[in-house]
Amino acid sequence: MRMRAWLVAGAFGLAAANASAIDFGSIINKAIDTGRQLNEANHEFTQEEEVALGEGLAAGFLGAAPLRKDAELQRYVNRVGKWLAMHSGRPELPWTFGVVDTETVNAFAMPGGTVLITYGLVKRLGSEAELAGALAHEIAHVVKKHQLQAIQSDKSSQAWANLGKGIAGEAIARRGSDPVGLKTWGANAGVELLKNGVFLRPLDRSMEYEADKLGVVIAARSGYDPYGLVGVLEMLAQVKSDGSGLSVLDTHPAPADRLADLEPFMPQVERDVKQPQQVEARFRKVVAP
Amino acid sequence: MRGMPKRLLALLLLAALPWLARADEQAFTNRATELKERGAADAATVAKLPENAPVKVLARGGGWTKVEAGGKSGWVRVFHLRFAGSVEASNSSGGGLASLGSALGFGQKNEQARLVTTGIRGLSSEDVKNANPDAAQLARMQSYRADRAAAERFAKEARLVAVRIEVPQDGAKGDAK
Repeated sequence: MRMRAWLVAGAFGLAAANASAIDFGSIINKAIDTGRQLNEANHEFTQEEEVALGEGLAAGFLGAAPLRKDAELQRYVNRVGKWLAMHSGRPELPWTFGVVDTETVNAFAMPGGTVLITYGLVKRLGSEAELAGALAHEIAHVVKKHQLQAIQSDKSSQAWANLGKGIAGEAIARRGSDPVGLKTWGANAGVELLKNGVFLRPLDRSMEYEADKLGVVIAARSGYDPYGLVGVLEMLAQVKSDGSGLSVLDTHPAPADRLADLEPFMPQVERDVKQPQQVEARFRKVVAP
Repeated sequence: MRGMPKRLLALLLLAALPWLARADEQAFTNRATELKERGAADAATVAKLPENAPVKVLARGGGWTKVEAGGKSGWVRVFHLRFAGSVEASNSSGGGLASLGSALGFGQKNEQARLVTTGIRGLSSEDVKNANPDAAQLARMQSYRADRAAAERFAKEARLVAVRIEVPQDGAKGDAK
């Protein structure tokens, strides 16, 4: 057994030595293959691929809507989000939350656990339980890999065709421990998916309803009033799209439909809730009315 | 001369009326329901409301909404309301008339009035498609991440106690926890 372990280690050492000599042709081929595989609907993204893709999407998004310059608010939202994510089906992801400075009312989940929420939405909320309701809905999308599924089912996109090039260029530039430049490749892919609009398309309505329900459960598990999301939907039912195309009213089913879908579901969650909290005072200290 | 300002005021009031009507968000009951003293099923009933009764939304909290109906205020189950705000909220004239309203001494009295969209144009799909990725912003955002311990302390401060809740069968399937 010990002998065999040595042999394996030897083989690895050899491979590493060869890689440093750089065989451009084989790296490029491998990179293009990787791009092709990732585009297959049944490809299982590794967590690393998923996170890298989400980081690329987030970087692109932040290029259009920067973070709100309020470190207290950013840390606050990260604590609420992390606490919620710890009670989701994927607590191990590198969960990251950001408040972006725009009047548009919406929130966006990126594969791998990055969630962006607009200040336009945050300032219209009335409590931490409502913030938790909105964030938990996004966390549910990540847990269910809804965005990944939508990206993979998009066959019309040119994004994937451009990916091979990105990987190849990166692979040649890096020569590091990440021979196909996966991390940066993922980021490039994310940027590409943002540019051609694939990521901005609304998800299936069934995914939104599923995220509403799972979000309610995640918030309730975390000790929040499960009606937080219901309060958010009630508020959304009273606002109007800003015509940007990126408002929550443009990208989601109508709030009234979402409320109607949640009504029969709520009693099943309420049954198990112990001492649900609204947490208004702490929310008001960070988000001025 | 003294009559002029009064007539002007009346005109201004008339002009402001449509906005005043919008300031208090309107909703309707979507079924016969009860107006409760507090937001709880076992609270005393203030009034019985028929289906399609117009109510004025005053505040929201939990699964209940504080409303005024027929001169009485109380709480109605949120699911028993249909909101009219999405048709009434005005983007174009809201700001101007709102300032007129406050100049005449009509401040926005309730919570909901402020929730009406401001009409300031936000982020568009084109903005996002054309943006240059910002790695520095990404790094900054990641620097605000909370770790497990910080999240646990934070939850404790607000007496948030984790509960074990399975996802109901007809809900979101497969979220094993």
